[in-house]
Amino acid sequence: MPAAVEFRSVRSTEEAVASLSEHGSDACVIAGGTDVMMQYARHELSPAVFVHIEGIKELTNAQRDGSLRLGALVTHRHLADDPVIRTGHPALAEAAATVGGWQTQGVGTLGGNLCNASPAADTAPPLLVADATVELCGPRGIRRVPLEEFFLGRRHVDRRPEELLTGVEAAPLGPRQAEVYLKVGRRGGMVVAVAGLAARLSFDEQGVIAAARLAVCSVGPTPLRVRPAEEALLGLCPSGRMTDDGYTALEEAIAALSGAVSPIDDVRSSAAYRRAVLPRLLRRSVEVCRAAVRAGISQDDLS
Amino acid sequence: MTSVLGRRVTRSDAEAKVRGSADYGVDVVLPGMVYGALWRSPVPAARVVAIDSEAAWRVPGVLALITGADVDNHPTGLALCDQPLFGWPVVRYEGEPVAAVAAETPESLEKALDLLHVEFVERPAITDVTSALSPDAVLVHPDWASYASPSGAEWPREGNVVCELLSDPGGVGEVFSSAAHVVRDVYRADRQYQAYLEPHAAVAEYNSGRFTLHVAHQFPFNVRDRVAHALGVGASAVRVVGHHIGGGFGAKLDVALEPYAALLARATGRPVRMENSRSEDLMTAQCRESAVVTISSALSASGDMLGCEFDVVFDSGAYAIDAPYLASIPMFAVGSVYRVDRTRVRCRAVYTNTAPTGAFRGVSGTYLVFAVERHLDHVARELGLDRRELRLRHLRRNGEKMLNGQTLADADILRECFDRAEEVAPFSSLGKGPYRGVGMAACVWLTNPLAGSAVLKLNEDGTIGLVTGATDNGSGAVTMGLRQIAAEEFGIGASDVLVTMPDTDVAGYDAGSQGSRTTRVVGMAVIAAAAQVRERVLSIASDHFEAAAADLEVVDGGVQVRGVPSRRLTLAEVAKLAASNGGPITGAGSYSTPLPNYSPTCATGFLFPAFPTPTYHLHVAEVEVEPLVGTVRVLRYIVVQEVGRVVNPTGVVGQIQGGVAQGLGYALWEWLESEGGRYRQRTFESYGLPLSVDVPRVEVVTLEHGDSDSPHGAKGVGEPPIVPVAAAVANAVSDAIGAEVDAIPIRPEAILEALGPLGASEHRE
Repeated sequence: MPAAVEFRSVRSTEEAVASLSEHGSDACVIAGGTDVMMQYARHELSPAVFVHIEGIKELTNAQRDGSLRLGALVTHRHLADDPVIRTGHPALAEAAATVGGWQTQGVGTLGGNLCNASPAADTAPPLLVADATVELCGPRGIRRVPLEEFFLGRRHVDRRPEELLTGVEAAPLGPRQAEVYLKVGRRGGMVVAVAGLAARLSFDEQGVIAAARLAVCSVGPTPLRVRPAEEALLGLCPSGRMTDDGYTALEEAIAALSGAVSPIDDVRSSAAYRRAVLPRLLRRSVEVCRAAVRAGISQDDLS
Repeated sequence: MTSVLGRRVTRSDAEAKVRGSADYGVDVVLPGMVYGALWRSPVPAARVVAIDSEAAWRVPGVLALITGADVDNHPTGLALCDQPLFGWPVVRYEGEPVAAVAAETPESLEKALDLLHVEFVERPAITDVTSALSPDAVLVHPDWASYASPSGAEWPREGNVVCELLSDPGGVGEVFSSAAHVVRDVYRADRQYQAYLEPHAAVAEYNSGRFTLHVAHQFPFNVRDRVAHALGVGASAVRVVGHHIGGGFGAKLDVALEPYAALLARATGRPVRMENSRSEDLMTAQCRESAVVTISSALSASGDMLGCEFDVVFDSGAYAIDAPYLASIPMFAVGSVYRVDRTRVRCRAVYTNTAPTGAFRGVSGTYLVFAVERHLDHVARELGLDRRELRLRHLRRNGEKMLNGQTLADADILRECFDRAEEVAPFSSLGKGPYRGVGMAACVWLTNPLAGSAVLKLNEDGTIGLVTGATDNGSGAVTMGLRQIAAEEFGIGASDVLVTMPDTDVAGYDAGSQGSRTTRVVGMAVIAAAAQVRERVLSIASDHFEAAAADLEVVDGGVQVRGVPSRRLTLAEVAKLAASNGGPITGAGSYSTPLPNYSPTCATGFLFPAFPTPTYHLHVAEVEVEPLVGTVRVLRYIVVQEVGRVVNPTGVVGQIQGGVAQGLGYALWEWLESEGGRYRQRTFESYGLPLSVDVPRVEVVTLEHGDSDSPHGAKGVGEPPIVPVAAAVANAVSDAIGAEVDAIPIRPEAILEALGPLGASEHRE
């Protein structure tokens, strides 16, 4: 039985940082509690203090001003429903819509999903392909860390005990650009990803891939951006429906992707299956992005 | 008054369940109640060397701590006495109780369990059936030969083989050696957890030498008998009070926490409450067993099935539980729907160092029908025959016999099932398009015949009280079916029939909610009880009207002179008259279905020898495989089911939809993997139940060929709709990917592997 724990609700970022500074690593930040409460019940956490941040109003907003700025307390349901996010960040909206059930989505927050640093964090791959940066507020001010560098290991992030993750900044889709998040689960909903892959691809006027971002989850200790595979995609000109030739063209990217991941056997799936689906996800993501850009262009032509 | 049969009568517990006021087993709170829990073995096989309980006893609030050293740890069991209360001195599966602790608060309890120190020496664990059967295998029960059956029954068993069923009509070898074709398949099935909402729980009291147990249990009388046996007291020293059941599906037929709660109540002198955590429940529930099924067919050149060899090995886990009975089921899975001339059947249940397996809706029928129907599809493919035609050619007809010698008088219903399914959607029209497939599967199933009883009383306000030990585990069999059957006897509304919760001190014996028996068996008891009540009503009215009883009729909640509705007494008036004319009116009825004739010599080890009140079933599944990742989506699902008589359409369709949903989970999503004798999946996060988005609307066709010896013709409904599901789905998936599917659950890994190297067979049209 864990010892009694203090539950301190804070109303502002300053108050949260002060509380975290006071208790250091004895404190555990809690927002929606969808991960924290389960870990606490399983005795995986035994903090002296819960610093409850759900009441910090200024962290609940999503704003689009050039780039997208998401407060740490934006919920998964908000990400899935917000028209601005659905158009500018469709992969993120789609990923958030696949997290848990409605109840979980309604209270689980973006900041929590990132700080929990599950290998299967659904919001991570779409944010990684959007070149996201996290904002950490500490007693000595603001620190910005690229999301790619934020994940240090399984359930381990670059956040100091006295810092609060306050927000995330991400680049929206540009012209001739499309993105997708493909999640593999066993059943039709409420699944922890067996594997997930996000891709954001830019195409030039000839349909050649001009820029690429690829990120995966559930195939290693942390969500991961896969730069070598991105490079291998540059200069490819995927046709509409990719037959076996499509794989040949993607061979280098597939090899780079396979080389970058380290999946394991666990309760949800096998390492072999995860390795088997990754190339398929990569190819599908290229097909989907290509089709989306084509559709977008033809729509532009019509209007 | 029109009949209440066949109508959507609301269940009597509907409002309480919707409002959350229904009193489930986990809701029972008694004055002075304390908390109990088990210290369960963390390893699958060990010898306990010492138990140091000193530190645990020092925790403030600890009231009792009981180990195998403190009690008469004699083995007991449902079919075979092989299971001691405590894994002491030998632990045979992970999760086996080693000690029971009671404390004033859940906090002290948890602390005491943490501080209990059990020293054990691990032993090599037998974790799968193949190693259990190997000649030099370590024996899970070295003392197996000393065990006896509580009923005195005997059957072939030896070493790690709990039981062996063998049926060999002779001449099978000759048929195989002269056959034009022989097709052989090996199929595997994993375990399945019953996954009800309410975990196992029990509250026990001990007063004046008697135990009272509050449970949410499918079979209260079995709790009474099993607890009494384990504790070495008479059955009448145990009273079991039933509460609303948060689902059971077979896992709440044998005892779980009840004997330990009783022990702790006696030790503390206080009411003791015990409840499994979900992980404890998942680890230790008697889930559906894993199995390996080998089936070979000898076929003529034109595809007639001449002979069959059917060999089943299933994992009983650490104890026998009901395995000696389940070993008979293969005798009904092959040769019942489809005619085969000569069939040899062997079934062995084996001990392993894993959690004991037991009853789960449809029991072994699920994977046995999977094996038979997959095999038929394989045969059709090998011989280039149409799958449906092959089945139709071999369908049993009226008057043909199953392997046990039992005559199926109405087997022509099978043909009707196939015809009706074709009317819903022609088989050849389904499963068209890339990665789509269709499959079918049929079965014959039983209605459990075991005994039940009912007492009816005419209340003074004219309502009917129904006192029965029958339990409603959610199906509505009591809260809808029995109330409707009773109401029909008096021409009253079902809402005027008040039904009690089960209580072994109050009601006559009942064999529990199992095998779809309640509506059929207890319904007969209700009708017999009602006949006695009606007889008294007629007699009193006869005195009152000075008319012959034969000239009176009970109708619309009253009794009247035939053809003279003005000369009428209401049931309330009759009840009042009864006070001075023979006393209050009650009636009692009992029933058990007589076993049909069978051939006792058809097999050895045949403890479950017949399928009484048989019903017939055909399922058709249409699926689409997602070739990218190997997952399966079920597009359409059609069930044609013989039910005898629809007593309540809501109940019948609900049971069929629920059975299909549970079967789809078994076929596709519910993984319960064993690794070194330990389950990998231990929570509902990793044990993947189907969601509403995964289950299509189930298209249900009911056939009503009333059984003349059943209440208004009604046969068992609730259990069988899960039986053919995995088979139909597996055949559909196999059709979709053009490859054999030989294991349940059907994993995306297996589908991707069957689809071949990346991209090789994609865009299959």
